[in-house]
Amino acid sequence: MSRLLAVAANTFRETVRERVLYNLVFFAVLMTLAGLLLGQLSIRQDEKILKDIGLASMDLFGTLIAVFIGTGLVSKEIERRSLYPLLAKPLGRGEFFLGKFAGLAFTLLVNVSVMAAGLALTLLATDRRPDPALAGAVYPILLGLLLVVAFAMLFSTLTSSALAAVFTVGVVVAGRFADVVRNMRDVAPGVPPWLAEALYAVLPNFRNFDFKDRVAYGEAVPAGVLAWVTVYGVVWIAIVLVLGLLSFRSRDFQ
Amino acid sequence: MRRSLALLLALLAPVVPWSQAQIDRRAGAFRAQEEVLYLWSGAHVKRLFPGFEGLAADVYWLRTVQYFGGQRLFAAHKRFELLRPLIEITTTLDPRLEMAYRYGAIFLSEPSPVGAGRPREGVEVLEAGVRNNPGSWRLRQDLGFFHYIYLHDPERAAAILDEAADLPGAAFWLRMLAADLLAKGGERANARRMWQQMYEQAEPGIIKENAALRLRILDSRDLADRLTGLVAEMERRTGRRPARLSELRSAGLWRGPLVDAAGMPFGYDAEEGRVFVESASPMWRPD
Amino acid sequence: MSDPATLALVTTGLSKSYRTGHVIQGRRPALQDLDLEVRAGEIFGYVGPNGSGKTTTLKLLVGLLKPDRGDARVLGEPLASRAWRFRAGYLPEHPYLYDYLTAAEYLEYAGRLFGMPRARRREKTRELLALVGLERSADVPLRRFSKGMVQRAGLAQALVNDPELVILDEPMSGLDPIGRRLVRDIILGLRRAGRTVFFSTHILSDAEALCDRVGVLRAGRLVRAGALSELLRLDVQHMEVFVSGLPEDVPALASARRERVGERLRLEVDERDLGRAVAAVEAAGARVLSVQPVRQTLEDYFFREMGTPGGGASSWGEG
Repeated sequence: MSRLLAVAANTFRETVRERVLYNLVFFAVLMTLAGLLLGQLSIRQDEKILKDIGLASMDLFGTLIAVFIGTGLVSKEIERRSLYPLLAKPLGRGEFFLGKFAGLAFTLLVNVSVMAAGLALTLLATDRRPDPALAGAVYPILLGLLLVVAFAMLFSTLTSSALAAVFTVGVVVAGRFADVVRNMRDVAPGVPPWLAEALYAVLPNFRNFDFKDRVAYGEAVPAGVLAWVTVYGVVWIAIVLVLGLLSFRSRDFQ
Repeated sequence: MRRSLALLLALLAPVVPWSQAQIDRRAGAFRAQEEVLYLWSGAHVKRLFPGFEGLAADVYWLRTVQYFGGQRLFAAHKRFELLRPLIEITTTLDPRLEMAYRYGAIFLSEPSPVGAGRPREGVEVLEAGVRNNPGSWRLRQDLGFFHYIYLHDPERAAAILDEAADLPGAAFWLRMLAADLLAKGGERANARRMWQQMYEQAEPGIIKENAALRLRILDSRDLADRLTGLVAEMERRTGRRPARLSELRSAGLWRGPLVDAAGMPFGYDAEEGRVFVESASPMWRPD
Repeated sequence: MSDPATLALVTTGLSKSYRTGHVIQGRRPALQDLDLEVRAGEIFGYVGPNGSGKTTTLKLLVGLLKPDRGDARVLGEPLASRAWRFRAGYLPEHPYLYDYLTAAEYLEYAGRLFGMPRARRREKTRELLALVGLERSADVPLRRFSKGMVQRAGLAQALVNDPELVILDEPMSGLDPIGRRLVRDIILGLRRAGRTVFFSTHILSDAEALCDRVGVLRAGRLVRAGALSELLRLDVQHMEVFVSGLPEDVPALASARRERVGERLRLEVDERDLGRAVAAVEAAGARVLSVQPVRQTLEDYFFREMGTPGGGASSWGEG
């Protein structure tokens, strides 16, 4: 366990020192400020617009960050062979893989917190109280990002960093259209229903992590919903991590 | 180790659909349907997608069709309150998406359960469509039809159809139809011609189905009228009204089933000697 | 067959082949039926041309590859067990260490993976950096290290846990002569401390200078293994005499092979004739600079015993 934490801590140190991440976080905060401007342009609903922009950029840039660190850091280890000296030590492959995930998860937690703080500060700066209901949207976003990282790591064990990024983005986009897939019968009657059902079962439904609209109107997300969203998220993350573990453990490093 | 991981996978997998069902139950199956309360106005949305309005319009159109029940005329859980805002956003993003105006107008105007039963709003949608696409004779034609069919305003309808007939590419019979509208009587025949046109112009799909349904409703009424006439005929011949419709058959006045286009038996008011479409039938309409 | 208790490493029938090609897949055998023994406390050189399977062998031992067939025991433990890894160290070929860390940070991270307590990690880090000559670059990010510095840092990380068995893949690669001398000294020092060193190289002179026993790999097969003295004829072949100022024609030395090396002349003289040759040189007024016996080298052995593989000297590469 201590080895796993050692890997996690080192991974976090790596993401901090890879300064590109700062640019993305900076962009996210910038977007939030832009929301301020947009709010001025409309006659009403400017607080809502601010929250919408803040949450949307947290979601969007958070996803980009997750894809970037999930594929870049893991694929890079494999491609550059920096894990060779490490795997020869009494460090199990499972410990390495999960330790990496823990480090990346912590990185995402920090990033999301920074962006949420940015949003709260922006709201404060415009003489509004930051709404505690916002947390009800931020937390599911974070869960979604953890799932994205897990997918990124899984694909990294299977293919190059570029392809892994493409596949991860593909899964995320498809996952956001999961409702459309579920409803395929209505939209595209030519598609056989079993295919739509099968596709829906295999895709993560990212809509489950999306409460931005509700919260932007100040409506809190019920605790029961959040609890089940947590279950859904944790189980999906576990499934993807197990698949990644199986792949990583069986891999030959030629 | 590999076995225990595989076992873990097998245990986790069924939790996914189970928790999804729990989420759906508490938050609504298409949670984003609650967007209706949170939908921005079209102008706001447009500002958000500079350069990608067309794509955004497609996405919103997709959602409109999806949330509103897609291909099934009699689908349950239709959210009519979503329709107007979604159409508004879609057409603000892409004012030339004629399909959206037509779809929105029909299903706002059609009475329940097929539509929202708000023909005024349906007409407003078409008016916006005509404003944004002044050269489209089809939209103007539909606007004229709607004034006649839903708002029962033949003068306005005829005027609009005349305008439509002036546009390049317009069908040749529009002007003749406009003239007929102003003549008294023949509402049903005019309506039939309009629905027939809409049927033929539509692509296979929900709009075509709706037009076909409307035609079958007209057929049913025509048949009811014809049977009423036969009742009167029988009264003339035998001196009394039939007590039941089936007597028409035994009297040799009618062969075949005595049902409307949905297969539902007609109703018969022996006192008034009137045959009508039963209110329980899908072919029944209030007017 | 040696007593298993004294074997640091033993493999039986270890084999691995790689899949080749994308559409039509074949298998290329990289290592076939390796039966190898490395005794505790010795320096064992694993030599062979590039592509002969040396790195594959080391990766199989360390767990980066899974063998198709065969087995191995490391420090008395089964290959797949974790226990021996606490007592062994590994340096991969062309090591890549995290370039966002400093050398000291990397070594401390390695120490953490062994479960070493913090004080011990610090102490060991200092000690190892001094050993490999990097004590002044302890806080420099690895990103700024030269290739030779990274190589030395790589060797340091292989020694963090004071291993009984050290497995090194081309430990001299990328080093200048000073670095190579340093590594040689470290390896010799490890043997003095009773450790076992198993290293692969294609530089025969290094193997010859360091090893007690040698294993020769060619095209995935172990063709010879044993003590150097068994492999080479260690009797003297001839004497090598460096002289300066020798006139062209000296009758007594007419039969000796001569070769100009810069300003000096190199004579090959039979051992029996050494005394006479030296006298002849001095009588001619020239100076004898040095006298060396020449024995068969490992390189001679290969080119003679095995024939030149493919491109001759080129596949052995330069040191």
